[in-house]
Amino acid sequence: MEFEICQIARYPFIEDAKNWVKKEKIDIQEVLYEPIYERARARAVERVEQALKYGVIKEKALLDEIECMMEIFSYPLARLIVAAVESEYLVRRYALAEAKKAYESLKKEETAIIQKIAREFGIEAKDGMVHFSDYLKFAPTWDIKWKLVNRVMDKGYVELSNDEICRLIQEAIRNKIQNELFYMFAPPDINKIFGELISKLKNKLLAKEIKKVEGISEKDYPPCIKNLIAAIKSGMNVPHVGRFTLVTFLNAIGASTEDILKIFSSSPDFNEEKTRYQIEHITGKISGTVYAPPKCATIRTWGLCFPDELCKKANHPLLYYRLKRRKNELSKEKIL
Amino acid sequence: MNYLRKKFYEYYLKADIEAPYRIERREFAFLFFNESTMKRHISFKNKEWLLRYLKTSIPAHVYYSSAYYNNPSAGTMREKKWMGADLIFDLDADHLPNANKLRYEESLERIKEELKKLLSFLIDDFGFDEKSISIYFSGGRGYHCHVHDKKILNLGNQERREIVDYIMARGLDYSHVIVERSIYSKTYTKTIEITPSSPGWRGRIARGIISFLEEVKSMEREEAIQLLKSFDGIGDTIAQDIYDGLDDRRMELIREGKIDQMAAIKRLLKPLIKELAVKLHSSTDEPVTADIKRLIRLPGSLHGKTGFRVTRVNLNNLEDFNPLEEAVVFGEEMVKIDVKKPFKIKLKGNDFALKEGVVKVPEYVAVFALARNMANIF
Ligand code: SF4
Repeated sequence: MEFEICQIARYPFIEDAKNWVKKEKIDIQEVLYEPIYERARARAVERVEQALKYGVIKEKALLDEIECMMEIFSYPLARLIVAAVESEYLVRRYALAEAKKAYESLKKEETAIIQKIAREFGIEAKDGMVHFSDYLKFAPTWDIKWKLVNRVMDKGYVELSNDEICRLIQEAIRNKIQNELFYMFAPPDINKIFGELISKLKNKLLAKEIKKVEGISEKDYPPCIKNLIAAIKSGMNVPHVGRFTLVTFLNAIGASTEDILKIFSSSPDFNEEKTRYQIEHITGKISGTVYAPPKCATIRTWGLCFPDELCKKANHPLLYYRLKRRKNELSKEKIL
Repeated sequence: MNYLRKKFYEYYLKADIEAPYRIERREFAFLFFNESTMKRHISFKNKEWLLRYLKTSIPAHVYYSSAYYNNPSAGTMREKKWMGADLIFDLDADHLPNANKLRYEESLERIKEELKKLLSFLIDDFGFDEKSISIYFSGGRGYHCHVHDKKILNLGNQERREIVDYIMARGLDYSHVIVERSIYSKTYTKTIEITPSSPGWRGRIARGIISFLEEVKSMEREEAIQLLKSFDGIGDTIAQDIYDGLDDRRMELIREGKIDQMAAIKRLLKPLIKELAVKLHSSTDEPVTADIKRLIRLPGSLHGKTGFRVTRVNLNNLEDFNPLEEAVVFGEEMVKIDVKKPFKIKLKGNDFALKEGVVKVPEYVAVFALARNMANIF
């Protein structure tokens, strides 16, 4: 099954898109400079701006073949713009926005098309069944309902609805785009055409990236919390209970939602909306229940405890934090 | 050469060791008698080199990496270059509740029960081929289960942790697994309908509830009510309701998976699920399986703290496998030992109850006693 041009336009990251561009023999210089491609360039700018603003790119009605063509070309151009801004944050956000856009369209497709695109990402989906190893690669398992244990699995195959398969594909797309963009360099020409936008974005994002969590004494965190932060920063996929521990702890010592978001934002799979939702849920802003941080015994059963000397005196991470702060403050006094 | 080391030497002279798959990609590590630091970052290009090493350096403990490395003898992880790893489960009696109260033989039997559960998860739920699963008696207080399958070779830490969570029921939220429905017959009651033959946790939970209720039904009223009341949140009234409600017609429905009285049943679920899950990890350790790099005992090698051999267990023979016979490799020749600490053990079908002082025992008992540091050679 070959995709038609309007399908390619909806999924411009698939193999068929590359092949189509090759076949049409149009090179990037042309698209950058030729007046007839003005619409593609405008749509590229729109893609990047919408990604940044809304976290998702809106679908566009594609009425004829020319519009499809413009849509297809706008995708590589948008990528070049993102690469030129050289902001990790933008890369992540853009990759997610493209993936979400694709998800919205995919949901409406027939099973055969979903399967074909799934296969491009190494996901074999047969009759709504996906092998657990493919599932685990892409499922957002930090969300309790996506944890493997809460799925019906038979002989290695996880039962999924079409929608859920699309959600896995979304994650695969996000991964792919993000990884490609991290290693991509934009040619200097890009700056000639989109220079204004690029420097505007650079300034805006720079301000965002140097914000720091203040007023909280990070060095006094107990080892379990330090470890969780390090894990998140290094891009490990921290399990739900780990996130829960971290958020409740930070909330209890007075960090704001923004402060907490800041920590999570350094995670490569940062998803601002979801994370914000999770944080506000746990800290009671949505649910009305403020969850307290778990005690050491619980953290231990989750395998997240890495005790040090001081831990012997504490049975709760908050107690550890208070003990350590007091100790440090006392020792400060001595020096004075 | 001390006695223990000499015996190990004799063993390794003739031993047939099962080399791990792709031996040249594995890191080996050794602990020696009377030395506390582990010798690491060693690799062998084939089985012959490994055997030669064992004969010449006579280690007390032999480990190899579950991971495959591009350069297994490099000193750091970065230089080693991780290529993938088998999935390893470590079932140790230390991980059982009240472990220290159990006798050695008892704890090994209990662990076998956990092992059977684990195998059912791996085969029925995860669909692993029996051929890709190997079970070994660890030489200590448990069993190791190795899964070698290309589907899981490249899974990272987080993905492996999901597998462990599945098997341990960690994070299981039954409202996702079983779907409740309200039905109307005179009043609204909540029921669930789960056929016991459903796959995965859904079927496990159904079968768990059914067999528990069968058990309750088979009991005397008093006894049954006591049992039910031992669950959190179940008092006299609910307990009586459950027991008295189990007439033949309802039992029939329950066996088909039509389970009502959900409000009461829910209180049973948590402890029931705990029973159905595999108890894998101790309270302080990170569940080792989730790790993409860890060291495991080499099959066929000897455990320096018992003298038992890390022994392969045939999957079909699990029930009959007796480690205290089949992992004992030393001979019958009588040796004199000086017992420091009295102990009891049943080895090769013979009971030994040794008191302090000098006694003559078969070599295989002597090795065990010395390795456990409960006796000296006389
Ligand atoms: S003992 Fe408590 S405070 Fe210390 S690392 Fe473990 S969980 Fe954290």
